[in-house]
Amino acid sequence: MVLLEASDIRLEFQSKTILDGLSFSIYPSDLVGVLGSSGSGKTSLFRILNLLQSATSGSVSYLGKDTSSYEPTQLRKRIGYVFQKPYLFGSTVEDNLTYPYHLLKQKPDFAEIENYLAKANLPKDILAKKITEFSGGEQQRIALIRSLLIKPNILLLDEFTASLDEENTLIIEQLILAEHKQQNLSILFISHNLAQAKRLAKQIMYLDKGKIAFYGSNDVYFAQKELQK
Amino acid sequence: MNDISLAMTFVLVILAMYLSYKDKIGLEKEIIIGSIRAVVQLTAIGFVLTYVFDLDNSIATTLILLAMVYNASTVSAKRGKGIEHVKKISFVALLAGLVTTLGILLLCGAVTYQPSQVIPISGMVVGNSMIAAGLVFNHLKENFERRREEVEIKLCLGASAKESCASIIRQTIKNSMQPSIDSMKTLGIVQLPGMMTGLILAGLPPAAAIKYQIMVAFMLVGAVAVTTFMASYWTYKSFFTELEQLRQS
Repeated sequence: MVLLEASDIRLEFQSKTILDGLSFSIYPSDLVGVLGSSGSGKTSLFRILNLLQSATSGSVSYLGKDTSSYEPTQLRKRIGYVFQKPYLFGSTVEDNLTYPYHLLKQKPDFAEIENYLAKANLPKDILAKKITEFSGGEQQRIALIRSLLIKPNILLLDEFTASLDEENTLIIEQLILAEHKQQNLSILFISHNLAQAKRLAKQIMYLDKGKIAFYGSNDVYFAQKELQK
Repeated sequence: MNDISLAMTFVLVILAMYLSYKDKIGLEKEIIIGSIRAVVQLTAIGFVLTYVFDLDNSIATTLILLAMVYNASTVSAKRGKGIEHVKKISFVALLAGLVTTLGILLLCGAVTYQPSQVIPISGMVVGNSMIAAGLVFNHLKENFERRREEVEIKLCLGASAKESCASIIRQTIKNSMQPSIDSMKTLGIVQLPGMMTGLILAGLPPAAAIKYQIMVAFMLVGAVAVTTFMASYWTYKSFFTELEQLRQS
């Protein structure tokens, strides 16, 4: 079953081609590392997959149906997106972690929140604390939990550990790997860290000047890289 | 007050020009142009109002009110340059504020639909609503620019366009209504507003003038609330596409 399918996506902005005919499929339990130099179109691709912006041409379908034909709010709950910068809103951690329940029209499940906090190595008494009291790594973990509470089928992570230390990076990697295995969550993550991509990804998508230069298994990609040395 | 006394008050304008000239502020030309415009515009409107009051015709009165709303909406729409449909939003929101307020005043029997009553009251309503609508447009533009990331993150989580900017809308309404509420709070202790001052100058006892001023205060806050809510909840939609994507600024 194809979860997400991109067909010939093109994106142009101010007469510049950002994405140049991308086609690929994402299946349940895929874990794709999206690599490429800055400006190769990785973030634009994620924005289109999450319907935050539309492609100039081409289409994206989710479970066989064009993403633009879904209610945007429903589609975005299925395809989560965590930004590089862990932006927290409101004034407390609780404001952020109860927001998903508000969107799902459910009562906050504090046992579930505490379970995620424990997995992310965060104490449960942080809920009442001000968002300004936390480090970048802690904020990123909170932002990630906020997205996971929506229970997406696919999660897009944009350089989710770019500005974090090794300790925080490993905590977050363990959290997403656990979700990937336990919840059958498909993940696409953008990274400039080759070691991280090798460690985490099952598949690698390499973008170059808006085109897919490689899309295949982790082993094949890194074997090819070794041969090129 | 006779015409000579009125003419002599022009000395105050000369004083303002002298102070500007002395300190090289450079406002002399603006002051003289402003003074001439005030005299010409008020004289012209004096003649028009005399004619309309004598005519005492509902259609003519309504047309004047519509012209007032149109002119005010053009001014407030300038604060929202770049916002889609801003002129339409501005006109309808101001009209809604006026119709609601005037309608309630007429139903309560506080005023009758006579040009001498309806036109001055509408001028106050539309003027205050115009300022509030301008604040709405300005605040929304500024906040959608400054808090773009917050809105997009909420959209990513599956929030609707309205949910993603709910805090911006609430803050906009609060900020746009605040001047009217502050003004109402200080009535009588800081300011003796225009209508009350005018009535007292015209010889009405202060106790009677107060009644009119209380009506005006309630009327203004009501009109500003209607205009602000309508403009805010209509305008936010202009910042999103049909697919609930935040438009490029």
